[in-house]
Amino acid sequence: MDSFKFLDFATRKVMQAWSDREPVRPPVWTPLEKPLVEARIALISSAGIARHDQPPFDRDGERRNPWWGDPSHRVLPRGTTERDVRLYHMHIETRHGEQDLDCVLPLRRLEEAQQAGLVGSVAPSHYSFMGYLLDAEEFLTETVPKIVAQMKSEEVDATILVPA
Amino acid sequence: MIPALTAATGAPRVAAIEYPLSRPMGMVGDAAGQAAVLRATLAALAAADSYGAVIDLPFQWPEPRGKAMGPLPEEPPIAALCKRKPWLFLKLLSGKIPVPESA
Repeated sequence: MDSFKFLDFATRKVMQAWSDREPVRPPVWTPLEKPLVEARIALISSAGIARHDQPPFDRDGERRNPWWGDPSHRVLPRGTTERDVRLYHMHIETRHGEQDLDCVLPLRRLEEAQQAGLVGSVAPSHYSFMGYLLDAEEFLTETVPKIVAQMKSEEVDATILVPA
Repeated sequence: MIPALTAATGAPRVAAIEYPLSRPMGMVGDAAGQAAVLRATLAALAAADSYGAVIDLPFQWPEPRGKAMGPLPEEPPIAALCKRKPWLFLKLLSGKIPVPESA
């Protein structure tokens, strides 16, 4: 497995350096407490997906200060498709997800998995944020707790983070 | 995607896949391929029984690397900045984020 296969030279160097620099953290482990066939699943995408009826992610802010990324998130209701959204991540090919949202946020595929009896249920809400966050402090201290609180209120058992 | 980075950040379980950015689940319109990736990911979720598990998914991207990595609609601002001021690339590598005034 080559983690960096599809990256250009400069991005590969940055990703390798950041991987090596990450501090060792205490283990964070939450066991899956029920079988998948009984579990409620939510999805999270780092593609910077916002619905047309939501504020866009702040790309102008990143243009003004390239070291900054928008630390906010958007809630994407169950049933959201590519017709409802735009992708704002400035470091990926956003047209793919805008043609077929399941490339980055597999909501239809998750519905099919539920219909096939592979998972118990699909959460009513799913989430997206901007994956480009060189300084993740605000994201971790303000955004993540909001996502966690909503997941708990909707009795989510497990989430799949889909990196973009 | 970049499973080495995901694992390094402390993700409790990682389903690792060697797919390009922007299409972690599969190609546009390939519902069957996307479904296979999701099902394998769910299986990895159920199978991982301890912190730090990295499970390699058995999929290969169907296009050559060059074809999978087309130009972006807009050059990322940090890439454009580092072209104008190449010494800032070292800051990017180091993770030492400058305040806006010094960028």
